[in-house]
Amino acid sequence: MTQTTRMAEDINPESPRALAEPKSVTVRSRQVKALSYLVLSLFSVFYIWPLFMLVNTALKSFTDYLRDPAGLPTDPSLANFGEAWELANFPQYMMNSAIYATSATVIFVLTSLFVAFPIARGYFRGSGAILTLYVVALFLPPALIPQFQLILNLGLYNTRPGFILLFLINPIGMIILVNYIKSIPKELDESAAVDGAGYITFVTRIIFPLIRPAVATVTVLHAIGIWNELILPTIYLTNEDYFPITRGLIVFEGVYGSNWPGIAAAVLMLMLPILILFMFLQRYIIGGLTAGAVKG
Amino acid sequence: MAIMNKNYLFGSGNWKRFAPIMLLVPGVFLYLFIALGPSLATTVYSFTDASGLRGAEINWIGLDNYDEFLFQGLASRDNIDATLRTLKFSVIVTFVQFTLGLILALLLNQKLRGRTFFRTLFFIPVILGVVIQGLMWKLFLQPRGGPMATMFGWFGIESEFLGGLPGEAFNWVIVVQIWANVGVTMVIFLAGMQTINTDLYEAARIDGAGGWELFRSITWPQLTPAINTNFLLNIIGSLQAWQLFLVLVGYKPGTQVLGYLVFAEGFGQGTSPTFRQGFAAAASIVLFLLVLVIGFVANRYVNWREARYMG
Repeated sequence: MTQTTRMAEDINPESPRALAEPKSVTVRSRQVKALSYLVLSLFSVFYIWPLFMLVNTALKSFTDYLRDPAGLPTDPSLANFGEAWELANFPQYMMNSAIYATSATVIFVLTSLFVAFPIARGYFRGSGAILTLYVVALFLPPALIPQFQLILNLGLYNTRPGFILLFLINPIGMIILVNYIKSIPKELDESAAVDGAGYITFVTRIIFPLIRPAVATVTVLHAIGIWNELILPTIYLTNEDYFPITRGLIVFEGVYGSNWPGIAAAVLMLMLPILILFMFLQRYIIGGLTAGAVKG
Repeated sequence: MAIMNKNYLFGSGNWKRFAPIMLLVPGVFLYLFIALGPSLATTVYSFTDASGLRGAEINWIGLDNYDEFLFQGLASRDNIDATLRTLKFSVIVTFVQFTLGLILALLLNQKLRGRTFFRTLFFIPVILGVVIQGLMWKLFLQPRGGPMATMFGWFGIESEFLGGLPGEAFNWVIVVQIWANVGVTMVIFLAGMQTINTDLYEAARIDGAGGWELFRSITWPQLTPAINTNFLLNIIGSLQAWQLFLVLVGYKPGTQVLGYLVFAEGFGQGTSPTFRQGFAAAASIVLFLLVLVIGFVANRYVNWREARYMG
């Protein structure tokens, strides 16, 4: 008898047990969702608040800030931006950063393209060995000291070309390019050759457009890396006229140490270009950072 | 001369045949010249008394730099302390960043409204770089009247934060380091989770598996590649990380880590203004060996796990 009842229960959707189960599942999943939101919101406080603080402080006058650092501005104004812009030699620093990031990235991408393509295709004897050289670099000691001796003895210390020279390489970027080119069918090369395309034309006109996602990733990561770099300008540049914005900002902080409204305004101005770039190219940035990370 | 085995592809004239190799040379040369060569030369410099003066004489002094780093009594204490502190920093950062990154990824892998917003928010610090990250938190951690101080005030806690005792400042750098980089760990986990076949979950759910069981028997083993990547990246990254120390606290006794020691000694930014590049090279070799040994052990562990889970 009991046996039959249980079977009936399982089959009959009207039975109490069959009804109870999906219901408890939705209640639980709702609880899980609520808990998730709670944890995420708590966590995001520490991401939103510092950002908000930055904007908040930048809008305050210095006296206002001293009276109540964490409070809202009593008379919000954009004066700090203008002041920081003039005081800190900002236009010059920004221009320097832009020059370094652009020129080094362009040279790096161009030279790498012509290394990555033949290596990925195996068109040279020893292509594999060259690729290994790039992979090995990730595990070698830092080049900091001998690099400095090199630049110093070449007479390139405290010069723009010497500084740019340091950013013309990026082993990870090269590996990303090689891996991407490998996914482009090789038959393409042969048909292009049959059509009589020259090597440079082929790489720049046919391969380049096809590997644009990888180029975008490498370009953005490389340029952001240069824009954010602090240590190399500290080591290699002593002339203020050559400072990139990061170095300029640290100097600014040292001089106007307690003027947080000014510093906050300056930090926001440094941040803006990166955030804009990120909003448009988020997919490429995250794609590049996770490339190859999740395959066995 | 058969340098290429497919050189017929792009023509047969001299220029056409050698164009690929001639265009390859600049990139490879730059790489050997600026990166690989100097990197290998670090070992050589570590046996010399090189300074930062142009044209200054460089003498071979054998193992003196290593001896000074390790065995000169009180003078070596700071170096050994910095080494141990580097390990402590790495262990804490790796453990917390890994765990937090995993939790965030699990939460954001659900169908939640606003998950793109949260994901972007937690990832933003990664692209901002140490100057912005550091200054942002310096402002946030202002001891008098700053937001964190106000929050601590609610609970009756007073703190000097970054200007406090070395131990305290050190811990806050750990917090900022994790805050700044947990986004990378999170997106790698998320990318890993997206490769897991949802049918596996369906099947397990029909068998009556609950949330924890689903995680333990499906998510965790299936996530192995992402787990391995994050584990290794976190360990190696945190052993070498030091730039936030520069922005947040400077070269403060009791907070130094090895990477910072290399920079400070090599470029006169530490206790003495002289460029002790030979010694700094030796210190960077010590750091390199530390990364190598720990990386090797971690890699062995990761391979062992992979064999266990993935068969």
